[in-house]
Amino acid sequence: MGEVDIEWPWQYNFPPFFTLQPNPETRAKQVQAWKTLILDYCKRSKLYVLDVREAGNIALFHNSNINRKLDQSVIVSLLSELQKSGHANPIDKLKHRWEIYWHTLEEWSSMIYNYIQARGLQNSVLTLYELAHGDDVQDQEFFEIQNEVLIKVLQVLEKDRKCELILTDEDQGVKFF
Amino acid sequence: MRRRAGVGAIQKQKLEQEKYKDKSNEIQENQFEQMFRQLEFFKTNLEEFSTKHKNEIRKNVDFRRQFQEMCASIGVDPLSSGKGFWSVLGIGDFYYELAIQIIEVCLATNDKNGGLISLEELRVRLIRARGKRKEHQDISKDDLLRAAQKLKIFGSGFNIIPYGKGNYMVQSVPGELNMDHSAILTLASSSNRLHVSVSYLNKELNWEPKRSQTVLDNLVNQGLAWVDLQDTYEPLYYFPSLLNEHINSAVNLEKY
Repeated sequence: MGEVDIEWPWQYNFPPFFTLQPNPETRAKQVQAWKTLILDYCKRSKLYVLDVREAGNIALFHNSNINRKLDQSVIVSLLSELQKSGHANPIDKLKHRWEIYWHTLEEWSSMIYNYIQARGLQNSVLTLYELAHGDDVQDQEFFEIQNEVLIKVLQVLEKDRKCELILTDEDQGVKFF
Repeated sequence: MRRRAGVGAIQKQKLEQEKYKDKSNEIQENQFEQMFRQLEFFKTNLEEFSTKHKNEIRKNVDFRRQFQEMCASIGVDPLSSGKGFWSVLGIGDFYYELAIQIIEVCLATNDKNGGLISLEELRVRLIRARGKRKEHQDISKDDLLRAAQKLKIFGSGFNIIPYGKGNYMVQSVPGELNMDHSAILTLASSSNRLHVSVSYLNKELNWEPKRSQTVLDNLVNQGLAWVDLQDTYEPLYYFPSLLNEHINSAVNLEKY
């Protein structure tokens, strides 16, 4: 993980921020600050998947300046909190790997559908690669969105009958309505 | 043989007493009238003074301080009531306004500092919130203290805690802070390390570990201190309200 251009909140340099606080009120503030920071960090570094086991290598959970890191079990509980609001989802059963949605799947889906409508691309077929990496989408927020996440986003649209996914071994495409 | 007191003598005495009474009433009334006139005179002068200097009161820090000192020396509290004739001065309004703004700042920062804010941080934030004109900016610590002290009437929910030399904390959550608490705050702020520990308190204040632990736990329970368990030696206790960096970064990020 390279340097990330992020303005750390004051808490990040506050050593006790990396220890789960015993006082419920203080802890609520702490958890809220962590949730915001995690989503902000992932957004800035375009990080779609977090592996809790590698947390020590991520600046987000390890501030080497003050020699403090966040415990893995605390990270998991924070991510579970984010899961409740639709901002994260565990990929494996052991809850080691997590998809992070700094925009919820619903938010992503309406973002993409708005783009499709603005470009008049209804009724046309796009490959998923085009949609995520094409020249036309470079200035879109979903540019370089991770493929697994993209599929989940499109599945949300599919439920609303706004698109149909075409997933075969060779081709991955989508047709919008 | 001694003559017994006659009715005439008694009546004479009575008459004399009545006369005395009348006279004293008369004198008293005179005095009242005179005093009343003096007060009236004083009041008109005061009103004149206040209309002349009203702006001065709002704008000038030194003027406010001197006025407060003058009032203190003659034993009046210009803030005690908004209705008394001191209200013509408008000086009360100034402090009431300030008090409201203090509450606003305290509420806005409560989620960060747990309801404990240093007077200096309060001042910085309040001045930012007040607008750019010079008279809005000229708020002294003395002004803030006076205004904040008025808030005490709302009960234990609002408190001024002195710590160290000439330093104050404003506490905006209910809860008792005793001498031990302020001793810790003093120590933490003067040591420039922003945190304390059981062994540190033992070294500096010669406190028994048990005493320190009780007080520290209490501060944590009140949401005023945060625990850091990642020190190799012992738990460290931090006070976000003393964090200077936090003042600056937070001021940049928010309106306050």
